[in-house]
Amino acid sequence: MEMDLGVDVTMDGNLGIIRLTGELDAYTSSRFKEVMINTLEKGCTNLVVSLADVEYIDSSGLGALVGGLKRVSERSGKLVLVGARPQVRKVFEITGLEKVFPIYRNESEAVESLKRDESQ
Amino acid sequence: MAKIDKSKELDITIPEEFALRDEVRFLKSEDIKLFRLLRESMNKIEPAYVATYPPSECGIATFTKDVVTSVAKYTPFSKPIVVAVRREHEIEPYERIVRFQIYKEQRESYLEAARFLNNSHADIVSVQHEYGIYGGPDGEYILDFLEALEKPAVATLHTVLQNPSPNQKRIVQEIIRLCDVSIVMVRVGRQILLDVYGADPQKVTVIPHGVPNVHRVPAARVKRALGMADNAIISTFGLINRGKGIEYVIQAMPKIVERHPTAIYLVLGETHPGVRKYEGETYRNMLIELVAQLGMEKHVRFNNRFLSLDELVRYLCATDVYVTPYLNKDQITSGTLAYALGCGKAIVSTPYLYAEEVLADGRGLLVDFASPDSIADAIIRILDDPELKESLEAAAYRYGRRAAWFNVAVDYLGLFHRVLNRRRLAKELAESAQSTGKSASK
Repeated sequence: MEMDLGVDVTMDGNLGIIRLTGELDAYTSSRFKEVMINTLEKGCTNLVVSLADVEYIDSSGLGALVGGLKRVSERSGKLVLVGARPQVRKVFEITGLEKVFPIYRNESEAVESLKRDESQ
Repeated sequence: MAKIDKSKELDITIPEEFALRDEVRFLKSEDIKLFRLLRESMNKIEPAYVATYPPSECGIATFTKDVVTSVAKYTPFSKPIVVAVRREHEIEPYERIVRFQIYKEQRESYLEAARFLNNSHADIVSVQHEYGIYGGPDGEYILDFLEALEKPAVATLHTVLQNPSPNQKRIVQEIIRLCDVSIVMVRVGRQILLDVYGADPQKVTVIPHGVPNVHRVPAARVKRALGMADNAIISTFGLINRGKGIEYVIQAMPKIVERHPTAIYLVLGETHPGVRKYEGETYRNMLIELVAQLGMEKHVRFNNRFLSLDELVRYLCATDVYVTPYLNKDQITSGTLAYALGCGKAIVSTPYLYAEEVLADGRGLLVDFASPDSIADAIIRILDDPELKESLEAAAYRYGRRAAWFNVAVDYLGLFHRVLNRRRLAKELAESAQSTGKSASK
């Protein structure tokens, strides 16, 4: 019954997709941060982070995403988000971070957008 | 009682946050480009708060600090201000965030505080209201402050009486009139404001009482660490005073112990400083005498201290049944009950208004007021039935997660933005009406 964070990672060339389940908060954000770093170190430059199954996010989770964005930017890549639920989306709206992180409805939209950007 | 095994001691402290604020500060020196992007994109809001504030030991002070801290974590480019209310002859070593102090009984002080905030960078003022924390009859001096305040304001009402005196009613009605929005923590509080105080429904909203972000830990593990592995732990915490009804749980203990001989009742927390001032430790001494009369010395323990959040969480995590035996039916909020929900505890409570609402739908068991028998039966029911206990704990925890401070902070920030947008819109409309009027008169 303990709320934890589920993390599933798939990699396709320079694209890493990280799917999160549960809560991204002070207890779990450091784990998410580690996963992002590992994924980037394995050669990914672009990241899609799926929040579709994230129930809650706190400022630590946002901090981890900002840290991830910094690392991705250093590699001239992009970090985009997918499928935030209303409670999670509200956090991005309230903070203004929705202007920093593009949020797509689903993974295929996010992936297509990243591929389009790369081909330009 | 078993000796505490330090090697098995669990770390159940709430983790230090790897927060947005820290990340942004770090970026400023590392990646100025990204820092600028965040500064331009992120919503900046400058809240000010008026209330009692730690180190003052009172529930409202703790609540205020929790709101201030949790809101600030989402607003890394803002500088919140606290205006603290304190007694004139007391010295409070406040943190630097406290930029102005109101002397509770000095009426002029409330006007000075309003002038201070009118001239400050604050966009919006959040006022915590409880009759006792402000000066004048029923704390009416707060109205002087609100009358003189020129900034948008929201009030969190911690006490909403169903049968207020005329003056108490007038004060709350005036607060609602003078503030843009008033907040209560349960729906029933909102309904009372509409029915009894005639409040405008548009001006009253519900935001739950925040709870610490605690992930569930099995009680057995924490009990082992506290050296109470074999005990069934029942607890009540908070600032102790007569309204808590702790004597009725103590009177319930012989019946509970007969069925569960290892049961132990922990009364955690010091006597309320305000109560201690006029009657000392009379209530606590009465409780201690009662324990002796009932021969329950081995089954009731007191911890007469103001507990830190980590200590509190540790004891709560070790608790099998949390009890709020409060005696005031009208009580519209309880920080301690909110915390117990946040820790996912099986809860037994008297049906005061707040408990009745938050413990509905299988989140706790309600018992009669001042009834040791009813309390004992409910506690025994939970201790006898592990499935019931688990179901109560899971339901409480689910409710508590939504009310975690980080979610409540988003609710407050959302409200602040709504109020400011409404004010902006009203101003624009007024200006446009004025310019239309001018051009029509030409």
